[in-house]
Amino acid sequence: MDTRAWIERFAAVIDERGAELTELDRLAGDGDYGTNLRLALAKVRANLDTDDPRTPGAVFTSVSNAFLNTGGTSGPLFGMWFREFAKGLGDEELSARSLSVAASEAEATVRRLGGAEVGHKTMVDAMVPAAQALTAAAERKADVETALKDAAEAAQVGALSTEELLAKRGRASYVGEHARGVVDPGALTVAWFFEAATAA
Amino acid sequence: MAVRQLVNDPDDFVREALEGLQRVHPDLIRYHEHPAYVIRAQQSDKVALVSGGGSGHEPLHTGFVGTGMLDAAVPGAVFASPTAYQVRRAISAADRGRGVLLIVKNYTGDVLNFRIAAELAAEDGIQVRTVLVDDDLATDGQEDGAPGRRGTAAVVAVEKICGAAAENGASLDEVAALGERVVSSARTMALALAPCTQPGHDKPSFDLPDGEIEFGVGIHGEHGIGRRPYAPVRELVADLTKPIVAALGLDRGDQVIAIVNGLGSTHGLELSVVHRELSVFLEDLGVRVGRALVGSYVTALDMRGCSITLLRADEELLALWDSPVATPALTW
Repeated sequence: MDTRAWIERFAAVIDERGAELTELDRLAGDGDYGTNLRLALAKVRANLDTDDPRTPGAVFTSVSNAFLNTGGTSGPLFGMWFREFAKGLGDEELSARSLSVAASEAEATVRRLGGAEVGHKTMVDAMVPAAQALTAAAERKADVETALKDAAEAAQVGALSTEELLAKRGRASYVGEHARGVVDPGALTVAWFFEAATAA
Repeated sequence: MAVRQLVNDPDDFVREALEGLQRVHPDLIRYHEHPAYVIRAQQSDKVALVSGGGSGHEPLHTGFVGTGMLDAAVPGAVFASPTAYQVRRAISAADRGRGVLLIVKNYTGDVLNFRIAAELAAEDGIQVRTVLVDDDLATDGQEDGAPGRRGTAAVVAVEKICGAAAENGASLDEVAALGERVVSSARTMALALAPCTQPGHDKPSFDLPDGEIEFGVGIHGEHGIGRRPYAPVRELVADLTKPIVAALGLDRGDQVIAIVNGLGSTHGLELSVVHRELSVFLEDLGVRVGRALVGSYVTALDMRGCSITLLRADEELLALWDSPVATPALTW
């Protein structure tokens, strides 16, 4: 598994489909989410060029620093999420076990800093089921591709579950019922991130 | 027609302003560009003070970097938090090994980004403490889970008083405790006579009908807590001051530091009249104005209006207030 190629596929998906995220945020927030995310990924690409990271940990450090240098509240939360992947994955070849540990630490960090739990209609609604799927895959000793496919599926289900929720945290919480019927763009971003891992 | 402003490209506005500030005060400050922060030209061996937040409130915070106040200020885009990465880098640049006090106004983005920066710095072995400033009475009494009172002009008093204590050699814990005491002893109320306009925008932040003022505004051009009829300044000052006196429980014989603050486009003559009315109002209550700061220090771009901040003061706070300060915006 080539971590850098994974991140490059993720960035390409955001380039292609960022407008969908902006539209979701326009319906439920203030409409700048897609733009901010694309700015963050431009910084990711610049960091990857400059840092030229060679290990999974180093790749995710470049990604994390780019998001931590992005405005808003989702930028820094994604920055801290990716930072736990950097810490958890280190210099070793990716495995279901290392991904499960990293994703679990990562979702816990975002819940702690953002104060959101599952069901609050935020990125956490995709982060938590993805971490659980990775943990289940690691327990049955699945290979890394299978584990990541399971994570992508779980994150997608989690993201789509936000459609019917009333927001309790984040920008969408200010607009109340207006955001019902709209998928949370942060959760969808998490689903796309895991999909990008194993996409052809 | 677009509102006329002295601006080149709005995207370059904050950076160009900071470059200008450095050209005015090369003896006091340095502007670091990637990432953006302003730092003292000469640092000294003491507890370092770092603050910051969205731009558009100048001279806050960049104008308060210098001797006896901040060691570094971290500006975001107009009305947007600086990034965690910016704050983290400014902490390292300011730290002299005695620890760093972060002074943070209570807004969701600022709180999150400064908190993350503080955690990252602590992991790297830097001692960090945070004082959260939440003085705005207009946003008092929210329900549980709400963001709580906003941070506004009392932040100037926190930066001045903590800055003086740090200069005197106080420890990080002492400076942080002092900051908490100032925050808990200060409250602010503001009103707007006219809204503000973002650089490059063609419309002001809200429309105000003739004959009305916006009462209980913050510093981001948002609506206040209600409209009131325009009235002579004596009545407006009384409306602003009464809730502050009540919230602080001020009584005959008490002493305060008063900050009469212009929100961006308010003339000095108007602010002097506001201060005259405030002094008379407080004298009638038997409350003494020990010190006063009158001018535009915490602004909301070009908003017309003012805020009044009262800080219950004792001899220790007055002495720290009187200590020498040399920054672009405050010097004595």
